Amino acid sequence: MARLLVQLKLRLLRNALRSSSQAKAGFIISVIAAVLVAAGTFAGLAALRGNSASVDLTTVIFTLFAFGWLILPLMAFGLDGTLDPATLALYPLRMRPLAVGLLAASAAGAWPLANLVGLLGVTVGLARGALGLLIALLAVVLEVLFSITLARFVTASLAGLLRSRRGKDFAALLIIPIFALYELFAQLVPKLTEEGKLTPARFAGVDVWMRWIPPGLAAHAIQDASTGHPGTALLRLALLAAVVVVLGALWIRSLGRGLVTTDTSTQSSAVRGVALPFGRYGLRGTVAARFWIYQRREPSSLIYWGITAVVMIAVSIRTILTSGYLVGLVTSAVLGSAFLGVLHSNSIGLSGPGFGLEAMTLTGRRALRAYVSGQNIALGMVAVPLLTVISFGLAALAKHPVDGFLGMAVALAGIGAGLGLGDIFSVTLPYPMEKRAGSPVPRPADGFIGDRLAGSLGSLVGTVVAVIPVVLGVVFTRSDPATVRMPVLVVCAAGYGLVLAWIGGRLAARAAERRLPELYQIAVRSKL
Amino acid sequence: MGEPAIAVHGLRKSFGAKEAVAGIDLEIAAGSFAGLVGPNGAGKTTSLSMMTGLLRPDGGQVVINGLEVWADPPAAKAIIGVVPAEARLFERLSGEELLEYAGRLRGLSAGEARSRAAQLLEVLDLTADAKRLVADYSTGMRKKASLGCALIHNPSALFLDEPLEGVDPVSADVIRRLLTRYVGSGSTVLFSSHVMELVEQVCDHVSVIDKGRIVATGTTEQVRGGKTLQQAFIDLVGSRADGGEGLSWLGSSSS
Repeated sequence: MARLLVQLKLRLLRNALRSSSQAKAGFIISVIAAVLVAAGTFAGLAALRGNSASVDLTTVIFTLFAFGWLILPLMAFGLDGTLDPATLALYPLRMRPLAVGLLAASAAGAWPLANLVGLLGVTVGLARGALGLLIALLAVVLEVLFSITLARFVTASLAGLLRSRRGKDFAALLIIPIFALYELFAQLVPKLTEEGKLTPARFAGVDVWMRWIPPGLAAHAIQDASTGHPGTALLRLALLAAVVVVLGALWIRSLGRGLVTTDTSTQSSAVRGVALPFGRYGLRGTVAARFWIYQRREPSSLIYWGITAVVMIAVSIRTILTSGYLVGLVTSAVLGSAFLGVLHSNSIGLSGPGFGLEAMTLTGRRALRAYVSGQNIALGMVAVPLLTVISFGLAALAKHPVDGFLGMAVALAGIGAGLGLGDIFSVTLPYPMEKRAGSPVPRPADGFIGDRLAGSLGSLVGTVVAVIPVVLGVVFTRSDPATVRMPVLVVCAAGYGLVLAWIGGRLAARAAERRLPELYQIAVRSKL
Repeated sequence: MGEPAIAVHGLRKSFGAKEAVAGIDLEIAAGSFAGLVGPNGAGKTTSLSMMTGLLRPDGGQVVINGLEVWADPPAAKAIIGVVPAEARLFERLSGEELLEYAGRLRGLSAGEARSRAAQLLEVLDLTADAKRLVADYSTGMRKKASLGCALIHNPSALFLDEPLEGVDPVSADVIRRLLTRYVGSGSTVLFSSHVMELVEQVCDHVSVIDKGRIVATGTTEQVRGGKTLQQAFIDLVGSRADGGEGLSWLGSSSS
């Protein structure tokens, strides 16, 4: 069974590679990344040799790896056919060989191998003597087994939910905190290291409680064996092995349950409210109502807005607490609005086959103008408060709250530019989108990466260029009194943004009128 | 026959070297329940998409109730309803919101759209699920919701692509009765299907399409020619499989 399931996993991988050149490129990049992570982790752990906080840091790294094993399968659930017990439910398989087989399938692949090789860095960094080395090898194997059984137990317990619409929505939203953590790490770690505030010694003592969790048991077993306490080391390993066995038993039980039960949480879900909003505002209000609802209910919309907020905060985090805070504030507003343009640059492809319902009713240029402006209104209803709040929040962090108006002015102009450009690119360079199994956000269908690059770059660069007059306004009015400068800048930027959005909407409606059937054919190819 | 409700002349479409629809002609009288039948890949969906203004033809003419579709697509779209093969709906709206949205897109006032949506949901047996997201609907429920969207503005002609594909018998009966009532009021239905029993049961006019060409058209009786529609259809398009003669191992007596 183990061999068969490992072969199944490798076959699924091989077939995915054959499906497109993108998949091949993705696989090569993934393998290179796995090799780099393995080498980096090995080197990082090995470099801890002689460091006073080596066991603390090893504990932290072991815990991070276990956490990664826990989180990634939740997001990539649909990618690995061997993760979902339902795919095997039809076959007459006994639970124990099935569990062993699934465990083996989990351990096969570039990333599990990279995990194992990387963690073996402890044989250099933490282990001392033959016994220390032997315990280190055992500890790493048990740590990897613990990570796999923990991940398997959680995915098996949640399999029903992850197969359901509600569970997939939840898993998709996990991308926002993960992206935020990544950005925090990428922005703060180099800064703190540069300033000398982040050194290995600062981790000393962080494992006061972490030493009792399984990754801590593994790290401390190596430390104990290396410092002449083989009894304690073996005890810790025995405890870790017991945890693995208990997790395995729990996993087998939830696997048995998962094979014969289904998630019913979506059966009871219902929306509140009795009607679509904006009923009094004709076609414009009708379209705005649909897009407004989608901004709240569609996970990919929430992800886009979440990522926009994270990017705005991340780009300013290094400068916002310094005297150059204004650069961070303006950059944040420019990038936030440019992101809006990028995310809105293929709205028809993102509407998907449902656009057919709209295409049947868009009778002429006037209706198309209403359609485009309805979208812009709905997106503006989210973008304006979001970007304004972040601008004022950053200004408050910089202890210059009034300067939030400057960020707001840039953001208002940028939102108008982003919407107008997004409208134009949506109808002149539309492309079908598809949501692949396990992927939280839709991506361009095969063969349309070039269109995506052109639309995204066009919107990004166009928005940045369009806000230059407002940025210049911010710079050249520095010496003017704030009571005059701020309201003038905000009102002028808002007017400028409205004009840009209006022009973009009109141009887009004119272009769409000529090619509505073609736009429909692209939308209908989207698989969302 | 007086002025036909749906008239198609020389309609054709190619995708690269493949000729999907090779110049079809059709005339369907007002108040007809017409079926367009053909094997998979015969050109049914392509033909219906061109007739409803959703796919630009390479040539030919489509006239619906006197309006030439490709001369004035908006005017033609205003008087027709379309139920595509794969229910193309907004998944993140509830059933109730979806129908109201369709009504308001069609120019109905918010109040009227809401009222008609509630009535259609009732007739389509979807009231209990009206507040659930379309994403959580079964295939049959999605087809019914799609039909509701197509009917909410009271079109004079309705085009349906495989309306009962994957639909359970109870939902199929609901859809069939609603369509029969709709046709009874003088409106026209053209639907594609490869379920011959259904077509034979409900259609008074049948056209058979194969390899992008209409190979037979007329009243159901004429096309059947004294046989079952299933047999007439197979005779017209030809049987394409050997019935699995090579599978000698298949069956309970083999191992």
